Amino acid sequence: NDARPPLLPSWRAWYALVLLALAAEVALMVVVTRY
Amino acid sequence: MSPLDWAVLIGTLLFIIGYGTWRTRKAGRSLDGYLLGGRQTRWWGVGLSIIATQASAVTFLSTPGQAYADGMRFIQFYFGLPLAMVLIAVVAVPIYHRLRVYTAYEYLQTRFDRRTRTLAAGLFLVQRGFSNGLSLYAPALVLSAILGWNPSLTVLLLGAVMILYTVSGGTRAVTVTQQGQVAVIFAGMATAGYLLVHYLPPQVGFTDALHLAGRLGKLNLVSFDFSWTDRYNFWTGMTGGLFLALSYFGTDQSQVQRYLSGQSITQSRLGLLMNGLVKVPMQLGILLIGVLLFVFYLFQPAPLSFNRPLYEQVMSSPQAPQARRLEQEYALIQQAQQQTATTLITARHAHDAAAQTVAEQRLQATQAATAGLRTDWQALVKQAAPATDAKDTDYVFISFVLRYLPQGLVGLLIAVVLSAALGSAAGGLNSLGSTTLIDLYRPFTRRQLPTEAHLVRVSRWATVGWGVLGIGFALFAARMENLIQAVNILGSLFYGTILGIFAVAFFLKHVHGRAVFWAAAAVQLATVLCFWLTDIAYLWYNLLGCAAVMLLAELLQRLWPEPAKRALAPV
Repeated sequence: NDARPPLLPSWRAWYALVLLALAAEVALMVVVTRY
Repeated sequence: MSPLDWAVLIGTLLFIIGYGTWRTRKAGRSLDGYLLGGRQTRWWGVGLSIIATQASAVTFLSTPGQAYADGMRFIQFYFGLPLAMVLIAVVAVPIYHRLRVYTAYEYLQTRFDRRTRTLAAGLFLVQRGFSNGLSLYAPALVLSAILGWNPSLTVLLLGAVMILYTVSGGTRAVTVTQQGQVAVIFAGMATAGYLLVHYLPPQVGFTDALHLAGRLGKLNLVSFDFSWTDRYNFWTGMTGGLFLALSYFGTDQSQVQRYLSGQSITQSRLGLLMNGLVKVPMQLGILLIGVLLFVFYLFQPAPLSFNRPLYEQVMSSPQAPQARRLEQEYALIQQAQQQTATTLITARHAHDAAAQTVAEQRLQATQAATAGLRTDWQALVKQAAPATDAKDTDYVFISFVLRYLPQGLVGLLIAVVLSAALGSAAGGLNSLGSTTLIDLYRPFTRRQLPTEAHLVRVSRWATVGWGVLGIGFALFAARMENLIQAVNILGSLFYGTILGIFAVAFFLKHVHGRAVFWAAAAVQLATVLCFWLTDIAYLWYNLLGCAAVMLLAELLQRLWPEPAKRALAPV
């Protein structure tokens, strides 16, 4: 039941999504701060 | 508060709690049902429960005030959290689920021995047991000061309601009520944010507000300058913040119980990842409300102190003449500030770069003058009321709500604060009852095969006991500001050791119970000594404590080897 998560092809894809979202948020915040 | 506000406040709270209690009236029929909601919670229920347990009333009272005074740099504290969610989802969730444990500490007996489990559970109970009541007391104190309520009576009422529904329906009642509480919290905060923008002068739009805040240094979101003493920078967030999140979400039963109630590994993992995706934007939203408040008060007269009772105390003290002079000066600077801010926005709309630069410099000068006057005010407070905290950031948001929001919405926003207080404290209380039963009562009881009904009854009484102790301690501690601080510090002193025990369990498979127990005991003692003898920031104790337990356990295992257990001990 846990081999394949819903929506994304693998758990690694889910973990990557969470970390990419964090990276995108931080990048946006850096741009705002520098501006 | 108007009668309509009271109706909205009481109606909202009673509906959420009444519905949660009614929905879960049969939860106490089995131990699984009572402690883990029958392990039937879906991912969104797990995620909302995790969010509601972490977000206490202080989140909604203090965070906007913090952004108002200090900008948005507090957000960096949460940068390690999504990474912690991923690590816990990968490492801890499958182990906890496959062993079908009720508490995180139960796993430690399977992996090590009973005394290591009891040590970790004991540290958790001491820390959470004393601090849980304070999460009700903090908002009661602020609301009492602003609304004239009796703080002790407020805590007693909130505490009684919380104990009632937590004891009645166990984890399921906590989870179901938290879903309603989170809905009210999001609706209330979104409404407050919308109205804040709506209340700005007609010529000031949302982007203008951000521009003003940015030019006055409030959008200081990320700093890459590392400092051991300043916890708000990128590196501290990604290390100290990461280890704090690992400790809190990975080893604190008040959070572990949220995702242990998930239907499967998948549902628990998705709940944690939902928190990882939502937490940073959610905190940004709350901080943004604080920044919008700051812009709002550029165009409206802001009080010299948002803590009204303290203001009145100073105004009736021997320092009153000085305070009045300060207030007159403050009013003049505020007028200049309002005119300059309007000039800046007009220049911005006209794309007049030169006028914009001049206005920005003037506005920054008025800001510096305002900050100087507020510092002078705090010095006066120290003279007039030496025992009182002059900081008024906790009062900024709630003062705005009471003064500017229409009838009905004031009640909704007070319901937001009280919902957050109840949701967070109920999560903690529920986990205290579970840990007492599973890690202290069941392993040591002399009863032969106690029935499920008996165990549920013990858990209920343990929950009542911790609830009464927490509220009693909060009322006692209220007389001593230092004691409240001591309890908050206590938590950070224990977290590193507990995380170290779990890190050894997960990653150093060759280390056994004896080595980790003595390593943890020694590191805990050293941590307390460090606290007395050094001025290391609390945030670093998690990382240092965890690393020290791992290193010392590894060393002890080599110097003082213990054979592996022949069979798993019964849990």
